[in-house]
Amino acid sequence: MNVGLEHYLALSAVLLTIGLYGALAKRNAVAILMAIEIMLNAANVAFVAFSRYVTPQLLTGQVFAMFVITVAAAEAAVGLALVLAIYRSRRTVDATQVDMLKG
Amino acid sequence: MEWAWIAAAAPLAAFPLVALRGKWLPGRGAYISIAAIGLSFVLFWLVGADFLRRQADHFSITWFNSGGTRLALGMIIDPLSVYMLGIVSVVALGVQVYSLKYMEHEPRFSWYFAVQSLFAASMLGLVLSDNFLLLYVTWELVGLCSYLLIGFWFEKRSAAEAAKKAFVTTRIGDVGLLIGILVLFKATGSFDIGTVIQAAESGQISSGTLTVAALLLFAGAMGKSAQFPLHVWLPDAMEGPTPVSALIHAATMVVAGVYLVARAFPIFEAAPGALEVVGWLGLLTALLTATMALVMTNLKQVLAYSTISHLGFMMLALGSIGFTGGMYHLMTHAFAKALLFLGAGSIAHGTGLTDIKDMGGLWRKMPLTSTLFILGALSLAGVPPLGGFFSKDEVLAAVYHNQGPVVLGLTLVLALLSALYMARLVFVVFFGPDRSRESGVHAHESPWQMVVPLVALAYLAVTSGAAAFYLPGTGEGLGQFLFWEEGEAFHPLWWLIIASMVIVAAGFVIAWGIYQRGWRVARALEPVARLARRKYYMDDLYQWTIDRVVLVFAGMVALFDRTVVNDGGVNGSGGIVARVGKRLRYHETGRVYNYGLVMAGAIVVLGLMVTLLR
Amino acid sequence: MVDYKLLVPQFLLAGLAFGLLALDLVLPPARRRYIAYLGALGLVGIVLSTISLRGQEAALYGGLFLIDNYALFFQGLFLVMGAVILLAAEDHVRKFLGHAGEYYGLVVVAVLAMTVMTSAGELLTAYIALELLSFTFYVLSAYATRDLRSNEAGVKYILLGAFSSALLLYGISLIYGATGTTYFRGIAGAVGGTLSPGLLLGLVLLIAGFAFKAAAVPFHMWAPDVYEGAPLPTTAYLSVAAKAAVFGLLLRLFSQGLLPAIEVWRWVIVALAAASITVGNLVAIPQTNIKRLLAYSSIGQAGYLLVGLAALSPQAVSGVLVHLAGYAATNLLAFTAVIAYYNETGHEQIEDFAGAAERAPYLALLLTIAMFSLAGLPFFAGFTTKFYLFTAAAQEGLLWLVGLAAAMSVVSLYYYLMVIKQMYIHPSRHSPRLRPGFVLTGVLGVLAFAVVAIGVYPGPLVRFIETASKGLFS
Repeated sequence: MNVGLEHYLALSAVLLTIGLYGALAKRNAVAILMAIEIMLNAANVAFVAFSRYVTPQLLTGQVFAMFVITVAAAEAAVGLALVLAIYRSRRTVDATQVDMLKG
Repeated sequence: MEWAWIAAAAPLAAFPLVALRGKWLPGRGAYISIAAIGLSFVLFWLVGADFLRRQADHFSITWFNSGGTRLALGMIIDPLSVYMLGIVSVVALGVQVYSLKYMEHEPRFSWYFAVQSLFAASMLGLVLSDNFLLLYVTWELVGLCSYLLIGFWFEKRSAAEAAKKAFVTTRIGDVGLLIGILVLFKATGSFDIGTVIQAAESGQISSGTLTVAALLLFAGAMGKSAQFPLHVWLPDAMEGPTPVSALIHAATMVVAGVYLVARAFPIFEAAPGALEVVGWLGLLTALLTATMALVMTNLKQVLAYSTISHLGFMMLALGSIGFTGGMYHLMTHAFAKALLFLGAGSIAHGTGLTDIKDMGGLWRKMPLTSTLFILGALSLAGVPPLGGFFSKDEVLAAVYHNQGPVVLGLTLVLALLSALYMARLVFVVFFGPDRSRESGVHAHESPWQMVVPLVALAYLAVTSGAAAFYLPGTGEGLGQFLFWEEGEAFHPLWWLIIASMVIVAAGFVIAWGIYQRGWRVARALEPVARLARRKYYMDDLYQWTIDRVVLVFAGMVALFDRTVVNDGGVNGSGGIVARVGKRLRYHETGRVYNYGLVMAGAIVVLGLMVTLLR
Repeated sequence: MVDYKLLVPQFLLAGLAFGLLALDLVLPPARRRYIAYLGALGLVGIVLSTISLRGQEAALYGGLFLIDNYALFFQGLFLVMGAVILLAAEDHVRKFLGHAGEYYGLVVVAVLAMTVMTSAGELLTAYIALELLSFTFYVLSAYATRDLRSNEAGVKYILLGAFSSALLLYGISLIYGATGTTYFRGIAGAVGGTLSPGLLLGLVLLIAGFAFKAAAVPFHMWAPDVYEGAPLPTTAYLSVAAKAAVFGLLLRLFSQGLLPAIEVWRWVIVALAAASITVGNLVAIPQTNIKRLLAYSSIGQAGYLLVGLAALSPQAVSGVLVHLAGYAATNLLAFTAVIAYYNETGHEQIEDFAGAAERAPYLALLLTIAMFSLAGLPFFAGFTTKFYLFTAAAQEGLLWLVGLAAAMSVVSLYYYLMVIKQMYIHPSRHSPRLRPGFVLTGVLGVLAFAVVAIGVYPGPLVRFIETASKGLFS
């Protein structure tokens, strides 16, 4: 069996779904951040696959993936810092408990 | 005349000057304000004289260009605008002079005159503007000024509420006006009134579009001119100082709507069905509010309902293609109503009373004010040979020529009602026994600053009838002047005139009987009277609508937004009902996963939309 | 060969940002207020270099980065906004927040990110700039470290923001896969005709991601919470700058990249616009917190701007730009007045504004002007710019949407008047007169002047904007 574009895209879609589920269903803020990282990686897989199969002569998709990895790292850093801040003040990282602001 | 813009610009310039530096100006800024409106009045004479020599004219400068469209600040000098310029400037001048004494002890005296100036400026700008954009700008400014003036005593809760009511209600109509203007703009590519009218007359615009546009413009007019069902703000507007009521009711805000219909009259004529709507709604408004004027006991409130009734009458005139009659009645009503309101202010000033149940026999205490007030009342009731008699007959003639017998009959009933409620005021307030101890002790004549404007307005109210036959300077009647291209002389219908005189006389006799002799007619009509006194439950209906519909709708959107969508999806529908009350207050759940789920759901919906609409 | 002269503003911005961070280390706490003044001075100085580039047309790095009047208009707008925010924030930062230099530095970083967003001619560049902007705002929102609400705002913002940008990124990947390019112009060549399902999904995800950043319904739910929780200057900045930058990017992307597919996406934008206008204005009515009220009002404003995006004619783009400029001045005026009031009283509930007219007549007057302008009354920026925008939309046949927008602006008048009424009601207790600082007073004066100037004489602004937006369609 040949591995083609469809397979990579299927992998990407599965990753996206897992990430989506995690982001919507998890209560732990850190877990939500991790789920979002999975979603970003789903996009990365798609980028690299498209780069290889759609524009083999250009590296656009691969470069995009590199940048996204960097952005994801930064996002994790900022996100964890903010979660840590709220943990310090409220002793919880449960996102469902963070609902002081509403209305 | 090129300088006509100064008529609007002078009060406009006075506004910031008096508002910011009023304290240090002569007369705490009032003199500046009066000088400015006086200049407008002088310009009316200059422009009018110049106009009679040179005919219609139109000047504009570019405000800014938007794409290919030139947005202009321009003026049109034609019979209608000159005519309105005169009415507005003279009434505004009278009101401001009167206010000098009336508002003397107000701590925000300067601010009052500043806003009066702005009000006059916007109204003068409105009647002079040659394009819909400027008209809309000034239109909104008139609304803003009414908010500031009606809410002048904003410490009083009722005043603050009345101001908000006036502003928001008229702005509902303004939405119609804006959309109407945009519809016409889309059809013609121009905001210029003349261009749009030409396009409408030459049939460039499809009749459907034209009708929609005309009705939307009329929606704006309904808001400002307090036509049913947007009339509810006007009676409350008396929460403002009395001179403000005089200005709003007589010559500025409320006639703006009538003026708009008159200005855009060719559009209404070309739009099938539009004039019928204008006429019928005017008639309905007039009849409904005339009965309310009959039962109210607050003097200013009676006058307020009478204003709405007469505005309806003007709309009826316009709807019956009685352009001259409508505009003529606008003038006679403006003078008489300003006179009545200022007179009511003078009565309040002299006696401290506002409710007619407490008044009586004022004729002996305040002879001058009483005489002038009665003159105004007689003019509005349509007693010959005062102004209101002639303009009413002009309208009746138009109704007779262009409407069926049913409308004519209802219009005659309306004439009877107007005579009746004015006669009621006259008999109850000025004759008969003195019903109050205080008024007997304190009643005194008002100072000359207040009486002079009254005398001037009374002179105009009395003599404006002559304008039907002879307008000074033109050598012809008002009809020929207003319709200067296809002159239309005053055309009396003798039997109609006699009928209307009989009706007025009947009205006075009935009122005399009821209020002087104590006829028991009122008892029999009590249920109707109660209905009218409750304002046909219109205010209650509105309050109910606002309470139930608008706020509940806002709550519902919020609830749907936060609760049904979110928790319905996550926790199932169980318990929603139990939480509704609580959720109304805490409708934004504040929970991140709710928000994320809404976003995901919305993406699905948008995806479906795109796929299905492809 | 890249002409670095064209990038001078960006270099200067980066330098300024780091300079302000460094100053924080050097200056003693008592002098840290000068960091804000210096930053504002620097931003105004950079405006000069932006002005000197006026009329330049260039595509740097093979079209990644575009310099044209459109980009320069936004650059100027962002620089001025940044300067205003620095000056308006100084008092507040000193009294309620710590680490002044970092705050100001981040504000300048956000300006840099926004200038890149509106210059981007390609999706990767746009994405990176958007993320840079978002990160600075995540931090700025959570800046009051000891304030629970600020913490919460930061966490909510980053969780939802990261979620939305992951979806946006996935959308970009699908568009890239379907068209084989990420350049706007390249996309335009590939989206004519029928679109493949993948491309449609990509388009929807893209719109959703941007709608989140613009706080358009139904992607708006983060906004009221974050606006309320974040420190006031951040809220002010977020409400005007972030919105302007997103629309700056969207207009370029849609007019240069997605115009051929307008029939496909127009209804999506129309739906978002209608929903934003309705929900934003209606839910604003029951609000009791002024920040939250302004949050919902800004959701409504996003809806008005989306009307312009849905029309997408050169005229409509000009309308959006004009409205953005007017809205920026108005909203900054409103927020600066609120900041000044908060700095002195520590209150931000609407009912706490009772008696403001007596305690601080100047503030009350200016806040009234801002409210009137937001409600779209003539003589103020809000009227002229909205009128321009709606006229353009009406010409494109979106009359019913304009009707909805006009009707909802009546509703908006209702809640803006409630704030005004509150200020002019006398409180029962006698309170001392408030005296906002010299700098704040000056900033307020300048903003009020701008609001009135745009309202009364928009000619020069409109002329420049029209040259800017024409470039997008050539």
